[in-house]
Amino acid sequence: MNRTVLFVGLFIAAAVVAILFAGLGKDPQAIDSPLIGRPAPTFALREVGTGKTINLEQLRGRPVVLNFWATWCVPCYEEHPTLVANARALQPRVQFLGVVFQDSEEKIQGFLNERGHAYPTVVDDAGKTAIAYGVGGVPETFFLDSSGTIQAKFVGPLTTELLDENLQKAIRQ
Amino acid sequence: MAFLLVALLLQTAPDAATFVGAPQGTPLSGAALEARTVEVAALLRCPVCQGMSIADSPSEMAVNMKHQVHDLLARGFTEEQILDYFERSYGQFVLLKPKCRGVTSLVWVLPVLVLAIGAVLAISKMKKLERPGNPAAERTDDDPYLARVRDLTRGGKK
Amino acid sequence: MTATLGRFLILASVLVSTGGAVIGFYAGRSHSPGGLRLAQRFAYAYTVLMLAATGVMEYALLTHDFSVSYVAHVGSRSTPVWVTVASLWSSLEGSILFWGCILGIYIAVATFLTRNTHREYMPDAIGVWLSCAAFFSFLIAAPANPFLSVAPVADGPGPNALLQNHILMVVHPPFLYLGYVGMTIPFGLACAALIRGRLGHSFVKPLRAALLLPWVFLTIAIMLGGWWAYEVLGWGGYWAWDPVENASLLPWLTATAALHSIVVLERRGVLKGWTITLIQSTFLLTILGTFMTRSGVFNSVHSFTQSAIGPTILVFLAAAIVFSVALLALRIDRLEAEGNFDSAVSREGMFLFNNLLFVVLTFTILIGTVFPLIVEAVKGRQMSVGRPYFDSMVVPIGALLLFLLGVGPALPWGRASASQIKRALLPPIAGAAVLFLLGFAFGARNPWTLITLAFGGYALQVTISHLRSPIMQLRRARRRFAGYIVHAAVIVVFVTIGISSTMRYTQEVHLTKGGVANVGAYSITLLGVEERQEPNRTSTLARFAVAKNGVQKTTLEPRMNQYLMMREPIGTPDVYSTIGGDFYLSVMNIDPAAQSVAVNAIITPFVGWIWIAVIVMGLGGLMALIPQRVGELRTGAEPAASDLAVGPTLGGEA
Repeated sequence: MNRTVLFVGLFIAAAVVAILFAGLGKDPQAIDSPLIGRPAPTFALREVGTGKTINLEQLRGRPVVLNFWATWCVPCYEEHPTLVANARALQPRVQFLGVVFQDSEEKIQGFLNERGHAYPTVVDDAGKTAIAYGVGGVPETFFLDSSGTIQAKFVGPLTTELLDENLQKAIRQ
Repeated sequence: MAFLLVALLLQTAPDAATFVGAPQGTPLSGAALEARTVEVAALLRCPVCQGMSIADSPSEMAVNMKHQVHDLLARGFTEEQILDYFERSYGQFVLLKPKCRGVTSLVWVLPVLVLAIGAVLAISKMKKLERPGNPAAERTDDDPYLARVRDLTRGGKK
Repeated sequence: MTATLGRFLILASVLVSTGGAVIGFYAGRSHSPGGLRLAQRFAYAYTVLMLAATGVMEYALLTHDFSVSYVAHVGSRSTPVWVTVASLWSSLEGSILFWGCILGIYIAVATFLTRNTHREYMPDAIGVWLSCAAFFSFLIAAPANPFLSVAPVADGPGPNALLQNHILMVVHPPFLYLGYVGMTIPFGLACAALIRGRLGHSFVKPLRAALLLPWVFLTIAIMLGGWWAYEVLGWGGYWAWDPVENASLLPWLTATAALHSIVVLERRGVLKGWTITLIQSTFLLTILGTFMTRSGVFNSVHSFTQSAIGPTILVFLAAAIVFSVALLALRIDRLEAEGNFDSAVSREGMFLFNNLLFVVLTFTILIGTVFPLIVEAVKGRQMSVGRPYFDSMVVPIGALLLFLLGVGPALPWGRASASQIKRALLPPIAGAAVLFLLGFAFGARNPWTLITLAFGGYALQVTISHLRSPIMQLRRARRRFAGYIVHAAVIVVFVTIGISSTMRYTQEVHLTKGGVANVGAYSITLLGVEERQEPNRTSTLARFAVAKNGVQKTTLEPRMNQYLMMREPIGTPDVYSTIGGDFYLSVMNIDPAAQSVAVNAIITPFVGWIWIAVIVMGLGGLMALIPQRVGELRTGAEPAASDLAVGPTLGGEA
């Protein structure tokens, strides 16, 4: 019995199996956000329709639901009514804000007219805000607490339950 | 009109300088800028594609990020600052080249270690093989009768 | 009815393979010729069942029988016939069935060729083969059953759109499976040698042949995968160090190392245990590879969708590793070395360094691929190991291998005097200088490219001088000749990869109809943007007239395809290939209404040589498989002793 071969071999076997086993059940596509618990990057962007500048800092004092979306994105189309309904119910205690990038103002205006409009939507022309927030795709929603710290991030279309769940994390702070 | 201009000027998207400080390199332009953009973009991972860099990926998000890189290089940010900036918002996930710090440095060190240990083992094996072979070793025939006799008399181990 | 028949055949294959494995191992212990014959019959029966099951599935696919679950999953009435046939391996369940089919064919051929020979080894070998077969049949029967009965639908979604884009989809997977699955055969033989406790000289030949045939297929398969990615994915490259790509490369590396160490084994009768370890590792890496592709653990462009099959394969992998390690630990000391090396500074010595480099390469690529998993498990955070890492690590090791490709064959076998060594090693420096200067003259400045050219030139001169040596004219030198053909092709691959990756030129071009743009020596004119309706997709394509140095050459039509079943469109590039390089157009943005398009234009020098050189590698490998004497194949008799050149003759042959 060659002890060296046995120990080296079993060590390699254990290491390989352990590593692969640890990987099972995890979704390789789900990326954690490093911004959670950190102050939300501030911005001042132009609102669609009014041309007004909306500054994120002005919204301090209450929790903010910051939703990144685009008109060409199918899940965004589907989640929009949920956002509008919850905004109507929760504002002004909670501020909702939409950010659109890689899109045309005309199309955004048309979308809002069609799907409903309950909170401001701003345009992030060069997509720099999206990058600062680590947005990989749309829709992605950030939940800020009243001091402007990001408490939760949700990737994908929201439902009322998921929205409530994440909003609790922001309100609790 | 003036109001619009002022409004435009007042708009600010979050800027890299807020997070990584003032540009520490020289601003680039022209062919050098294009070349560097591709180089740095090749180090950043497209967050929505499977493993591609933003230099290679055609997706909108990747193109957006590549334009940011282009922009930042033109303003004089160094590669390190740019990578740092993206890492702040996307996490280490976005860096295609693992950092040489902490636990991730292992991925750089281990192969070198294996090469070194392997070289030592290979050389010692060569030395062992250089020694004259044991006198009783002859070409193993596959005559099954002879093999059985050997098995029975030697118990299978020399 | 079809689904039921399929399920029955698979269940029967589970029973037959399990029974055959038990009989094989029993016959191995009892040394009974009747037992061996019975095991052989069970092996053939397994093959027949797998061929029948595969036939049933193809029939169901071609007749659009949507009552069979797999057909409902990937079948479609609107796909062309070749796509329907190829959809057998387009999705997970069908691909495992395909695996079983190929395994059956290999087992039948291997059993047949060894039916009257190596009686001491074959029962155990068949036992091991059929155990693997039993596992895969179990996979098909249980977690990945393609033959479930479902309520028939009117039409199906068709296979994944990316897989319908190109004819290479038909060719790449079969080659890959023929390579991957074929590694089971040498694994069985190697385990049988361990179980028996000896690796006799006459067993080396079948072992090598069993390793070489799948190697040929795997080599071509890896190249086809790269070529397919190049033609289909649109980023203009052919290798991204994607986890699934790495999965196909890892067993190739250890198999190549084993093919080299087996040369030393044959000449000197040493490195028995090491060669067997390499062969076992090759098989285990194929199982690891199939886990990586199908478990959903790895983020990859190529992976199949997530499924429950991952844990099952992991259990088999664990069992197979433990089995291999146990066999090695128990038996490796019994494999007696029959000879020795005369000197470390010799061709034999260089083989050891060759093996060292291949093993380091395998380890590096493996650790890079799984490292994100380790970090996530230990630290809970996500990180990436991407192309920049692999390129940094693999390029230097590759350069060392290229160096060895020259120095190794240049050195004589056995002990040589210092002046003999000098006479062998110095002349090829001329070749190095020639290629280096040529590259420099044509604009190569990247240090690694120049190193590759120098080492490549050196190795090329050594290889050519071997190919021209008079000994190669002898018929019995065919294997050696084939080996040097493969080496020459490998050198071409190294050098062209070096040149094509560092001397690539990319340019973004935005045009509206009628517009012209200059890209390097090429100029392209946008003739128009049109939409074409096909049964399974809508293609928006941009027609370009391509001219080089003012001369009209061809029309290229890169496009965006919108498949009926997919949300996002998929781009297909178009390529104009010449001996000197490729001109490649890939659509980034296309607007038929505005007749405008944005494309990426890429000029890649010499890239076509890579595909051709790898095919030559495969052909060289096939040449080496042709038996020295036809008589060997029929009776399995030993060739005359004089043919077996063991030990140094006349101070070293060419």
